[in-house]
Amino acid sequence: MSELGSQGGSASGKAIVAEHLCKVFEITRGMVRRRKSQVVALKDVSFEVDYGELFGLVGPNGAGKTTTIKILTTMLIPTSGRATVLGYDSQKEVTKIREKIGIVLGGERGLYTRVSAVDNLRYFADLYGVPRNVQDKRIKELLEFMGLSDKAHSRVETYSKGMKQRLHLARGLINDPEIIFLDEPTVGLDPEIAIETRSMIKGLVEKGKTILLTTHYMFEADVLCKRVAIIRNGDVVALDTPSGLKKYVMETSVVEVEGFGISEKEVTKFREMKDIISISADLSENKQVLKIQTPKGSEIISEVQEVLKNSHIYDIKIKEPTLEDAYLKLVAT
Amino acid sequence: MNNLRVFVSSALFSFRAQFNWLNPPMWVTMKFVLSFSQMAFFVFVGIFSGGGGGGISYVVSYIAIGNALQSLSWNTVFSVIQITTQDKWDGTLPLVLATPANRLPLFVGRAMVHVLDGLVSVAISFIFAAFVFGVDFVHADPLALAVTVLLTSFTMAGFGLLIGGFSFHFRNPMVFANIFTFILLIFCGVNFSVAALPTLAQPISYAFPLTYGVNAARQAINGTSLLNISPILAQELIVGLVSIALGYFLFESFERSARKTGKMEAQ
Amino acid sequence: MPNTLRVIYSAFRLAMLHWMADPQWVIPNVIAPFVFTTVALTLFKGSGGPFGLYAVLGGGMMGMWGNTIYSSGFAIEFEKWQGTLEEVIAAPSKLIHVITGRSISNALFGLTNMVAVLIVGTFVFNISLGISEPILFTISLLLTLLSVSALGLIFASAFVLSRSAQTLTNGLETPLYIISGSMFPIALLPFWSHPIAYILGPTWGIDAIRLTTSQEYASQTFWVGMGTNSALILDLTVMMLITAAYVAIANVLFKMVETRARTKGTLVEA
Repeated sequence: MSELGSQGGSASGKAIVAEHLCKVFEITRGMVRRRKSQVVALKDVSFEVDYGELFGLVGPNGAGKTTTIKILTTMLIPTSGRATVLGYDSQKEVTKIREKIGIVLGGERGLYTRVSAVDNLRYFADLYGVPRNVQDKRIKELLEFMGLSDKAHSRVETYSKGMKQRLHLARGLINDPEIIFLDEPTVGLDPEIAIETRSMIKGLVEKGKTILLTTHYMFEADVLCKRVAIIRNGDVVALDTPSGLKKYVMETSVVEVEGFGISEKEVTKFREMKDIISISADLSENKQVLKIQTPKGSEIISEVQEVLKNSHIYDIKIKEPTLEDAYLKLVAT
Repeated sequence: MNNLRVFVSSALFSFRAQFNWLNPPMWVTMKFVLSFSQMAFFVFVGIFSGGGGGGISYVVSYIAIGNALQSLSWNTVFSVIQITTQDKWDGTLPLVLATPANRLPLFVGRAMVHVLDGLVSVAISFIFAAFVFGVDFVHADPLALAVTVLLTSFTMAGFGLLIGGFSFHFRNPMVFANIFTFILLIFCGVNFSVAALPTLAQPISYAFPLTYGVNAARQAINGTSLLNISPILAQELIVGLVSIALGYFLFESFERSARKTGKMEAQ
Repeated sequence: MPNTLRVIYSAFRLAMLHWMADPQWVIPNVIAPFVFTTVALTLFKGSGGPFGLYAVLGGGMMGMWGNTIYSSGFAIEFEKWQGTLEEVIAAPSKLIHVITGRSISNALFGLTNMVAVLIVGTFVFNISLGISEPILFTISLLLTLLSVSALGLIFASAFVLSRSAQTLTNGLETPLYIISGSMFPIALLPFWSHPIAYILGPTWGIDAIRLTTSQEYASQTFWVGMGTNSALILDLTVMMLITAAYVAIANVLFKMVETRARTKGTLVEA
């Protein structure tokens, strides 16, 4: 682990510390008569991220995810509250933070389209103070890692959306950052490219990077993140591991059984079992369908098979609670 | 009746577009500064050059009047090109051309506001010419001068339509707008007579309506009557009308080819 | 902490690459100086005296002005249009160093007008231009270029801090050509305008450049009676002092730009 900045006082050894962040924007509207109004982007956001963690920030559009990332990456000054990154204060030790973090704001922007990938990377390498002797090697490696070596010298405007996204990611890694901030990295991408991007992100964590990711795709947070904070209207409404969040929200799974030769006798047996909350049965001539609600999840299957051992089972489906369900519940209330 | 309505509404649209980026006090200030500084620049160059054959006061007068007339090219040529090609740049062109409104009143309506704006520019420039640079307006024939200025505003707007129609086919119409507004300073007898140009270049001057307008304006200020300058004005009118016709044709041809190729947005 | 000179050079290099990709964009910015110079050449024809000098050097000067006002003025906006502004601000390098590189490149592109005028002047107007002190000429030219670039920094930050600044600069071009004594001596201008001329760094620069070009000019320099070398040193010294002041002002303005960006989350003056 890299030496923690002893200035900044991060005795807790956390990569990122957000303490009661609040951000209020003042908007002036109108060209002739100017009207001032306030927009509260963040009310009270607090969380911590460990070194080497892949941390997710999820929420609907306008919830405050991008604002939070901008504060953590020194691009925005909070109205109140404090952010500490790598042990440095985000308002007082700006340059130290900027040197060591990578920021990928997503979309196809962030690149100079009239010049080549190599020129883009070289330029940002210079802005980040990457030594010359390191630049060549790193640029080559990054382009290889992103699969862009063939078109390294072509103008970025000739790139496909996926290629631009990968170059954007490469740019975010040009200074070999300790922490990488990804703002909605897969939005607008084709599914195959999105999957590729996610595996790349996983690969980065395996290399020891710390990653903070924002997204409004729940399945993405579920699949990638160790812990997830759910943001709504500028507040953190929940913070836990994905499975923790799911448990919190939906205690039941639904097991759907399709079979033949199932009668009321079996249904009654299910009703008597203590792990079954409810059961609905559709018993017609040719096919019977049972919907069993249970807090047990897939553990119930062996019991189901035991009860139905004298019938034919065509299909068993289990609908586990998803992070999406958790999110919808938390965000809707 | 529909044509008139289209004319008026596009005129208002043009006017508002102009004010969108400037508030009225700013607009007035800019008018004064722009009119004055260009005239001043060339007057000083003229003084520095020693005045050539005619002496300094002749050169100053020549240059001042020339630039006064040229000042309307910002409002006519430049603005007309901007307004008519703006739609392409903004991506609203398909919407505009899709309306059943007849094209000509639409674009001409927009141009007319700029014509009026140009008249204000010339008036302000004349004031500078008279009070700062000592141009003698005492003998001027007011009717002749007024008609000349009005006509030149109109013909130069037409010229703007021509250049607009031509540049419409290209990626960057505003580059042409820039080039043509400034090139007038060389070819139209604004700062020196057409005769000072290389012989091969001189015919180009007569394709610009401004050349006739500047010539007529100088004579009107000298006291020549409207009747006596009418031959020049007639020539100018013809050139202006040809410009409008050609311009209209070029816009239409673009529209026709755009319908075929589907290329309406800025490439 | 990235090396300042390297950041400036890198931004300069990027601007060069952009210019090579779209060289035609320099045209609108130098068309006015080019046309103005051509008119001047025509008016100067047959008048005798070092007019060719005024035209070519003045043309180059005006080209630098024109491109600086517009291109450098929009330097920060350019990043916004490219979608790269946030990434550039997020980098540890200082924004002012990045824009310095761009501003220098813009002033350099503006000098292309000088080349264009030289070509037109030589072949159409038969002027002949000799440089009596090539090394001093180059030094003076480069220092003047730096002075113009420093002004470009002020434009760049002012444009972003105030929408009115943008509109005002539309009218700034020609008055600058007049007041800087590019195409004719300041002596021709009314006396009350002279102070304005003297606070412009490039005014001294153009005087220095002319001194290194032609012996004839020595009688028209600001420092009449001082001898060419002393006049040259004085010109350059005054210009560099003024340039240092520009840089100081620009530093303040850029701090305001960054503070506004980090407080309001936007750079557009709403």
